[in-house]
Amino acid sequence: MIVLRRLLSSAVSIFILVTLVFFMAHLTPGGPAFSILGQKATPQSVAALNARLGLNTPLLAQYGIWWWHLLQGRLGYSYLLNRPVGALLWSYEVNTLVFYAVAISLSTVLAILLGLAQGVWHGRAPAKLIGAFQLGFYATPPFFTAAILVLVFAVGLHWLPASGIGNPRLAHPGLGSFAAHLVLPVVTVMLLTVPMLSRYFGEAVHEELGKDYVRTARAKGVGFTAILFRHVLRNALRPLVTMLGLSFPYIFTGGVIVESVFNYPGLGWLLWRSALSQDYPVLIAIVLLIGLLTVLGNLLADLVNGLLDPRANYE
Amino acid sequence: MNRGRGGLTAGVSLGAAVLALGFIGPLLYRADPYAIHPAHALQGPSLAFPLGTDELGRDGLALLLSGGQATLEVALPAALLAFATGLAYGLLAGLGPGWLDKILMRLLDVVLALPSLVVLIFFAAIVPLNNTSLVLLLGFIAWPGLARLVRNEVIAQRGRDFILAAQQSGAGVFYLARVHLLRVIAPVLVVNATFLVGDTIFALSALSFLGLGVQPPQVSWGSLMQSALDIIALAPWWLILPPGLLIFASLLAASLTGQGLLRRGRGR
Repeated sequence: MIVLRRLLSSAVSIFILVTLVFFMAHLTPGGPAFSILGQKATPQSVAALNARLGLNTPLLAQYGIWWWHLLQGRLGYSYLLNRPVGALLWSYEVNTLVFYAVAISLSTVLAILLGLAQGVWHGRAPAKLIGAFQLGFYATPPFFTAAILVLVFAVGLHWLPASGIGNPRLAHPGLGSFAAHLVLPVVTVMLLTVPMLSRYFGEAVHEELGKDYVRTARAKGVGFTAILFRHVLRNALRPLVTMLGLSFPYIFTGGVIVESVFNYPGLGWLLWRSALSQDYPVLIAIVLLIGLLTVLGNLLADLVNGLLDPRANYE
Repeated sequence: MNRGRGGLTAGVSLGAAVLALGFIGPLLYRADPYAIHPAHALQGPSLAFPLGTDELGRDGLALLLSGGQATLEVALPAALLAFATGLAYGLLAGLGPGWLDKILMRLLDVVLALPSLVVLIFFAAIVPLNNTSLVLLLGFIAWPGLARLVRNEVIAQRGRDFILAAQQSGAGVFYLARVHLLRVIAPVLVVNATFLVGDTIFALSALSFLGLGVQPPQVSWGSLMQSALDIIALAPWWLILPPGLLIFASLLAASLTGQGLLRRGRGR
């Protein structure tokens, strides 16, 4: 029941999202005709191109057509590359999903470890040290982190490649080369997300440790490690999962920058390139896709929460 | 408690230092940021050029100060605009009829679900970019978080006795908002205004870094980072560290000040 309601609510979000993106793209001054024609735009040529692109029909009719095309999976053609947007996005999307899967899972593991340490040693030196790390890196913009990492590990020490996803000198760079290219981008994202997640998780652990059930368990003679890993961890994980779902937009904001700095061909990189060249169909499709992924991410977080704690289903 | 005050002091001093650098700095160090000295291109710090030169031979310190001024001149008005928009939206949702609140909040959920930088990039690609359009752009993207907060605060206060009493004696919506609500939620507003400044400085720097913010020949901290990164193979650390550290300092100042204020408010 609750799952159904969540699904319905996500569907409504997606409907609003699609509508919002349509009007964002069609009501903003400027517009595709100007960017395609550039300096040579005259009122006549703009009108002619608008007619060819179907931009001169009434707005509501365009909105209807937009939905019709979307439901068929027709996202239009890239102005720049003259390829169907759907096919174009696919490879970038795979790269992005791989990148985030690695970055987010590593971030979560590290955040849990740091958060546990912080909760257990609350108020003492190790926790304070972790707190300083969190505050410092929380305020560090990702492009700065990335620049320092490249300066030290790529330019200075020559340990790791600075950009791309494979050694361009090899015909088949292989998995090892891909992994090496992932290291610096992933570390940059981790330095962005771990401070936020671990801080949040650390506070949850600290709070759980002060609760009655912990005292009861200790009084019954259960060992501290058992309490920590069997009870506290599970209870504190629930807010962390919610937080992870909610912070996806934040993580992606960093991800766009990271993909751009490292020339990692993912959705963020493609978004950036199509923004610079004003490739509207691609831009719109990426914004939609990212919004969709976010809504689904939140849905997933809710469902996982239901599994972690059945009570969540009745709230 | 003591630690909170230390953080607040550090945050405010750091913020004041950054502001002074951006607005007073260019008055004191008067070298022309656009003057080109090809003979001295890409040199490290020296007496003539305290922060070195870039690949065109422009004075690094002059660029940094001019970039700071541009960054602050766009980010601060944008934060103010975002603050006003968020406050108005939140008050409207909190004080308006129930159906309006539902619609406005639902819309907000979707807007908040989109990564703000993605939306910014989208608009930056569509509109012609100059400092005015950037202020509007950043101002209209940064407000949703504040709007939700204001709305929740208003809802929380709405049922309290003094509000009910005022309503009973015939107070209108605007009177309520002005005389009672704003005063009660002022501390929350101040804290979040501080965070907003950090947000807009970050967003502008990120956009400029991607080439979609402050446009050449004008420079900003973000665009200075970008042009330094273009030639990173030559390891020009004197071009990368200063703008990066200043963005970092601004964000840290906003974060420390906001959290310090928050802690002080809770302590009372």
